[in-house]
Amino acid sequence: MSSRESDRITAAQQTLDVLYDISQLLNTGLDKETLATCVGMIESGVNPEALAAVIQELRRESQAMSGRPTTNGR
Amino acid sequence: MSSSLESLVTSLVPRARQDVNLKKELVSHCQDILTSHIGQSVDNDIGYLADVVKRTLLQSTPDGATALCFTNLLSRLLDQPILSRKHASLQFLHSLSLSPRVSSVSPSFLPSLAPPPPLSRPSTATLTPIDPSPPARLPKGKSKAELLREYRNKIGQPHLPEYLILRDTLYLLQGISGKYVHFSASTDPNGNNELVFTDDPSYVISRPTKALVHRLAEVGHLYMRVDAFVREREGKVGVGMIEQSLCHHLQTRLTEYYRLIAVLESQMVSHVSGDDPPGQDDASIPEETGLTLKRLDVWIEDWKLRMRMMSVCVEGAKGAHGGALVNLIHGYADNGDPFIRKFTDQLLEEVSKPFFATLHKWLFSGELVDPFSEFFVAVDPELAHLQYGQPSQDGVGSSGGDGGFGGLGEGEDISGEREGGLKLWESKYQFQKDMLPAFVGEIFGRKIFSTGKSLNFIRYTCHDSDWVATQEKLSNSSGTLQYSDIAGLEHSIDTAYQIASQRLFEVFFEKYRLLDHLLALKHYLLLGYGDFVDQLMETLSPSLSKPANALYRHNLTATLESAIRSSNAQNDSPDVLRRLDARMLEYSHGEIGWDVFTLEYKVDSPIDTVLDPDAMVKYLKLFNHMWKIKRIESTLTKGWMRIAGGARTFLQVPELDFDWHQIRLVMAEMIHFIRQMEAYCQLEVIECSWKILLEFVQRREGDLDALMEAHGAYLERMVKKVLLLSPKAGREENLLNQVRDVFAIILQFREATDDFYNYCLSEAARRDSERDAARGVVTSIPSSASNRRDPEAVDDILTRVREYSTSFSERAQTIVQALSSHADLDCRFLAIRLSFSDFYKTRKESQKS
Repeated sequence: MSSRESDRITAAQQTLDVLYDISQLLNTGLDKETLATCVGMIESGVNPEALAAVIQELRRESQAMSGRPTTNGR
Repeated sequence: MSSSLESLVTSLVPRARQDVNLKKELVSHCQDILTSHIGQSVDNDIGYLADVVKRTLLQSTPDGATALCFTNLLSRLLDQPILSRKHASLQFLHSLSLSPRVSSVSPSFLPSLAPPPPLSRPSTATLTPIDPSPPARLPKGKSKAELLREYRNKIGQPHLPEYLILRDTLYLLQGISGKYVHFSASTDPNGNNELVFTDDPSYVISRPTKALVHRLAEVGHLYMRVDAFVREREGKVGVGMIEQSLCHHLQTRLTEYYRLIAVLESQMVSHVSGDDPPGQDDASIPEETGLTLKRLDVWIEDWKLRMRMMSVCVEGAKGAHGGALVNLIHGYADNGDPFIRKFTDQLLEEVSKPFFATLHKWLFSGELVDPFSEFFVAVDPELAHLQYGQPSQDGVGSSGGDGGFGGLGEGEDISGEREGGLKLWESKYQFQKDMLPAFVGEIFGRKIFSTGKSLNFIRYTCHDSDWVATQEKLSNSSGTLQYSDIAGLEHSIDTAYQIASQRLFEVFFEKYRLLDHLLALKHYLLLGYGDFVDQLMETLSPSLSKPANALYRHNLTATLESAIRSSNAQNDSPDVLRRLDARMLEYSHGEIGWDVFTLEYKVDSPIDTVLDPDAMVKYLKLFNHMWKIKRIESTLTKGWMRIAGGARTFLQVPELDFDWHQIRLVMAEMIHFIRQMEAYCQLEVIECSWKILLEFVQRREGDLDALMEAHGAYLERMVKKVLLLSPKAGREENLLNQVRDVFAIILQFREATDDFYNYCLSEAARRDSERDAARGVVTSIPSSASNRRDPEAVDDILTRVREYSTSFSERAQTIVQALSSHADLDCRFLAIRLSFSDFYKTRKESQKS
């Protein structure tokens, strides 16, 4: 996903694995892909708590939309 | 940046992939959030963050496995060089993990352990209000315990939920049977209950739980025993005060116990009500918030010990009573375990209060206030209504000195009344060793006993003024007595004891002049006043030779009176003299005055406590012996005077001179014997004993008992030595009898010599008249027949004289021999005195050879 990871793929892969394990442990519910994206954003300076809020917001939105799939109001 | 956001949006909201507008909208919304001020103030300490995460993990899974796993992962993460903002990533994950749970976790018991509230987020930043409905619980792996529980449910033997057992256990702690566990009256003879678990096929109670319940139920069982005891005593009449206070203390303890149970129950109630109705999965609720059986066990642990102690006390209280009960409890006070020691001390402090109240009364007032007979001093119920007699002032001559019995004594016989003082002193109060609390100690117990007795004695025997004075002294020394202040108690006892015994001594010696009475006894009954005795002997001897039934008491008293008047005794105080009396003992046919005459000294209450009737009998016995010695002595003296004087002047019968010489020799021997005997009695025995007694009196130590003991020893010593009693059982009076035989022989000898004297006198007179007639002077004309010399008569007399002198000599020899091997040193000295310069020994040897 992120171009910055291409040169150090193996190391990044390991880091990602560890982070994914922690994520599983903490029950965050993130899949590997999303996690990688998020970590990339954090590395580029995004506030982690704000990002967490974003993830939640998106989840909520998705849920709300799947709750009324036909309306498509937005 | 925005591409990342876009990919996020598309992965999380699948519909945005098709809907471009939606995607744009979401992306911009997300950018809004990101640029907002959420989480601006974040510290960069990864350690703290890790801690917070760990705590959160521990809370969800208390076994700590996940926390451990997390620690592992974290360390691996930190090893990775690639990330520059590891803490930020962690923070992100953490925030994400917290948020969905916030609404689902119910408010917990321990707020301090609850997760920190989610960070505040500005309400403006959200498009729609957060849906309060919790998201579905995230799937997680089932623990082994859950698997086991599920398996059990499947095979139809689920474990009984713990809170149900808990409720039953709390009932058990109060001695009430629960639904699943109950007490059942067993066949055990001790009345111990058995714990029975109800058989319910739909539930299984695991063995560890059963064991735990059993342990907890012990407290309930003990509680039932203690409670039953307290209840039983409450309803009973005549329960001792010490027992009552024990009950009170136990009741207080039980109230504390109730309080604990109530607290525990309140915890359990809230726990249970939160999860009612019980479902199959309620075991999964976090248990750290409520009460569990194990926690209950910890809470109850202290009480288990306490209950055990109480139950032991209760068991002991069934058999013991009063002081013995205090003793029993005190037995547990010497314990290395500070818990038990403290408990016992408290209990003792409480329980011994009535004891100390009684002790205080007894020690400082001499009164026994002990309605349930719990004190270690017991009163003889038969004597309880009697008081020590008041000394009657009109004294001797009236119906004894015990008028103080006041009416009660009228119906009783005289002898019963006579014993009054001593009997009261000795048996009115009894010392009961098994009732004495061990913390007092037996020596102090005796002191307490004696102090109270002395005070009681002073109080009821002496006048009010004495009592007031004594009490005044005591009141200075009396403090509060209690168990925790044993040293003070001992001090108080010592002081009270000293004051009381001192006071008693004063009363006896100053108020009642005990010493004067003792002296009087010594002077009159033990013949200390020589001139008085001589006078009495002289005036009495003619009448004492008469048969006993010819003696009259008024004659005797008149003689006594004149003897007193004509001797130094008249200077004695009238109080002493009025007690002196002469009377006759019970006599049988054929006895003469000498056998039955006795002097008597009358004592009244309270002096008769020391000079009790037994002692007086001993005095009389001593008097009897001394009087006999005195009689022999005076007889011999008179005989000697007659012989010695007469032989020179008018007993001129030359052919009998040799016989006279023999008689004088024997008589001198007898006089020596009797004088030595007398000197021994007076000087060696009576005066020495008196000195010892006097030393004791001047020391003024000890109490009335000690005084009585000293006097008893004094008297006993005199009786033993004067009467030459040997310690050999059954032969005590052998020597005494021999001495009495000797006395009898001496008297017979004296009679014989008297006959001889008379004969010689008449013979001398006859010869005188013969000589007168030869000179032609007719002095008298005696009838020749009566004055004719009768050689048979003189032979007969001389035979008697010789017989008596030899038998005396033999007896004296035996006595000396017996005395020289006597156990008593003084008696052996007497032997030496009697056989001075080995007189009898050499004579024996000469007889042998």
